[in-house]
Amino acid sequence: MKFWLSRIGGALALILTVSAITFGAMNLLGDPLFNILGPTAGDVGNPESLEKINAAKEQFNLDEPLPIRWGLWLGDFVRGDFGPQFSATGQPPVSDLIVERLPRSIMLLVMAQTMATLIAVPWAIWSASKANSVADRTSTVFTFMMIGMPTFALGVILKFVFAIKLDWFPLTFTANDPFWSRVYSMFLPALTLALPVGAVYQRLLRTDLITTLQDDFILTARSKGVSRRNVLFKHALRPSLFSFITIFGVNTGALIGGSLVVEQIFRIPGLGSAIVEAILREDFPVVLTIVMLVTVTFVVLNVAIDLLYSVIDPRVRAS
Amino acid sequence: MRSSQRGTKAGVAALMSFTLIAAACGGNDDGTETADTDTTEADTVDAEEADAEEADAEEADAEEADAEEAEPVAGDGDGEAPEVNEEGQEAPSVEGSIPGGSPVMGGTLRYALEADVDGINPTSSALSSPGLMMGNVVFDTLVAATVDGTFVPYLAESLEPNDDFTSWTLTLREGVMFHDGTPLNAEAVVKNFEIQRADPLVGLAVKPFFPEEGATEIVDSLTVVYNLADPNRYFPGSISGQLGMIASPAWIDAAVEDPTLNQAPVGTGPFAFGERSEDSITTFVRNDNWWNGDVYLDAVEFIPVTDPASRNDLLFEGEANGLQTSDPGSVGDLLDDDAIQSILDESGEESFAMINSTVAPFDDIRAREALALAAPIENYRNLIGLGVARAADSAFTPEQQFNNPDVVQAGDDPEAALALVAEYCAERGTEENTALTGPTCSDGRINMELQWSGPSVVQTRIAEILDEGWKAGGFNVTFQELPQDAHIQQAALGQYNVVTWRQFGATDPSTDNVWLLCRTIGGISLNWPKLCDEERDALLLQGQAMENGPERIAVYQEAEKLINESFVYIFFVHTPWNNAFGDNVRGVCDRVAPSGEQLLCVTNGRHWFDTTYFEG
Repeated sequence: MKFWLSRIGGALALILTVSAITFGAMNLLGDPLFNILGPTAGDVGNPESLEKINAAKEQFNLDEPLPIRWGLWLGDFVRGDFGPQFSATGQPPVSDLIVERLPRSIMLLVMAQTMATLIAVPWAIWSASKANSVADRTSTVFTFMMIGMPTFALGVILKFVFAIKLDWFPLTFTANDPFWSRVYSMFLPALTLALPVGAVYQRLLRTDLITTLQDDFILTARSKGVSRRNVLFKHALRPSLFSFITIFGVNTGALIGGSLVVEQIFRIPGLGSAIVEAILREDFPVVLTIVMLVTVTFVVLNVAIDLLYSVIDPRVRAS
Repeated sequence: MRSSQRGTKAGVAALMSFTLIAAACGGNDDGTETADTDTTEADTVDAEEADAEEADAEEADAEEADAEEAEPVAGDGDGEAPEVNEEGQEAPSVEGSIPGGSPVMGGTLRYALEADVDGINPTSSALSSPGLMMGNVVFDTLVAATVDGTFVPYLAESLEPNDDFTSWTLTLREGVMFHDGTPLNAEAVVKNFEIQRADPLVGLAVKPFFPEEGATEIVDSLTVVYNLADPNRYFPGSISGQLGMIASPAWIDAAVEDPTLNQAPVGTGPFAFGERSEDSITTFVRNDNWWNGDVYLDAVEFIPVTDPASRNDLLFEGEANGLQTSDPGSVGDLLDDDAIQSILDESGEESFAMINSTVAPFDDIRAREALALAAPIENYRNLIGLGVARAADSAFTPEQQFNNPDVVQAGDDPEAALALVAEYCAERGTEENTALTGPTCSDGRINMELQWSGPSVVQTRIAEILDEGWKAGGFNVTFQELPQDAHIQQAALGQYNVVTWRQFGATDPSTDNVWLLCRTIGGISLNWPKLCDEERDALLLQGQAMENGPERIAVYQEAEKLINESFVYIFFVHTPWNNAFGDNVRGVCDRVAPSGEQLLCVTNGRHWFDTTYFEG
């Protein structure tokens, strides 16, 4: 119980810290009035403009001290009210944007993680079963290539080869296409994210598998005549998943970062491109909301992984 | 095959408001801000098979033309059209460009825009070229420009001036309905006008040209009188673009209450709004009850693709059926591809550096002149223009009638610049440059800030090229790359030294008055350099009231000279716009007014879709 309370307390503290830092940073960067009113915000000599400036300040609490504004914003956020977008052509709710963009980003991340897992697990098992052979060393070189290659370069290469040259996939994602067309057009972007991540998973799982395969209980299993396949899948794989699951959770955060670039390359209007656009136009509420959603997701995932540890390895629960 | 027909158009006075908005939207391939103005000169590049169908199209047009008698809208007081193209000008033509044959119904045309917009409301949105393109499908304008440089009624049945051109009476067509079922009437027109005038941004381009009281009068349900602040023979041009796009009054009211509706426009146009996913796709579907005849396409889909090379790829791969681009490299690639049909327009807006004349050091003409002299003009034209964008000395191309051949853009003379810089710094070097919050000079060199809209690879390259030249001419250049909104705001508020910019491009100079008159200087200025020149103002106002001819040309050539000598603009190139299409797209340039005149095909990167169809 103490373990769980400390984990949850730490998670909440982390979320609060991130929100405070992000809120402070965004408000230090520029005057939100310009985002709300456009050039009118600077036209202070004009009584008509001044009236609009004062009205906007009141409406958006811009006259309040920063900590009060943070508190107000946080209270709204917890209640699910993400506030209005700061746009000179109107202030639609941030939640509208999130509702529109989030499913695309989730789709991309789920596809990428699924692909990465489907690539990494069989590959790691194969590699571990042939540890230090020529094939294993060749595959190691390939994994390092994948890990070392920047996402933007890999995305451009995949797009050029498979979408432009071979014409196997569409160049862009279109929001109103039927579901399976969107899945199809999401394949290359997801693969772009999945290959480097899958390579990392492969390296970790392969190493853990090799270590596990040298344990006494594996030797015992082999001596009892258990087949090689069964040794790998039934005895070695489960205890070797510890690092893989850890990195799976951590990488979800990294994938969200990578998706910013991939969404730009493949023109996917998801949260990644939304935050890039919002940063460029200094739309503070949108940036804050997306950062907080990513943070909360990241923290919740990691807490969930802690829970998973205890399922995989009872010693964690006992400790 | 490239068939090129170049004509000098005159008298296509485009609207002022949309230029403002375009400037406020930018998002161009080269990262500069855009202030659009209409243009009619178009070079066309067609797929080979297109020529064969042209004759049929012309025949069909002629048949339609017989249906109604032509009614010119602008006149000299007796109801005749202004003779804006009299002086031996070759009228702009679209002959041979994406012609039609026998129109085929059906199909969805996917079009790649250079950027998305934050709203499609002509009364309040910042409509750049992409926004105006989407506006063209959903809205109709009161007046339309023809290929020969005149204006004809479109949603209007007629538009008549009074004797001194201070008042214009517009009569609407009867029976036109908005997509939401509300009727087009005089009240709707006035509602659009008043909302535009009240808008903080759009209103800047409207207010200075109308009296505060009595700008419009409703005569009857279909008749409106516009009362202008000054005589203007070329007023019809100002309602042929954004200011002339008439939106449903019910929708305007609803959009004022709920700004999210700015994304779902309601007009009278050939296509009605379908759906929109910002930054991904905006769809318009055929309006089967369009007042001006059949519309062939089932739908038009707009997808914003900011990277010009990616935009080209979409067209080359067949994932898009058309695109717009002003990136010189992309324009060249499209022209080189025989399978692509291109409409090239080289007479649009200009790319230039713009100088704030109200902040030291550039409140001193010596500093401005030095900056112009030190500008690496040739490098810019070679390295950025890539041989595609033509060199610009002013806002006019050499073949345009208002071009003053004696006006030459100063530049590439760092030695002369150094002398002026030394003189300035010796005298005023300790004053404060408020844009930099530092002294105007350090060690005998002028300190300045160059601002541009980014992130943009091309704009950064431009900044580096300019820095190289200006450094040799005695300037210390500080870079400031800003998000587009902030960039425009600072320009509008006069909080800058030098910015890279894009605007002008109208062949009728009256259109560009909004950028130049003293009255558009204020807390927020559209006269961005904030240079007030009473002598220039007098010429500009005189010019908009004169009948076109040698005297008017001389007036504007003199104004052009004054602009050149004021050193607030350093002109680099005329922007090349290419509207390109796949080889199965037809009829883009077959637009015909209700009165039978062939309408303008492309202007500053945008066109219309009402006659467009796919080859069967």
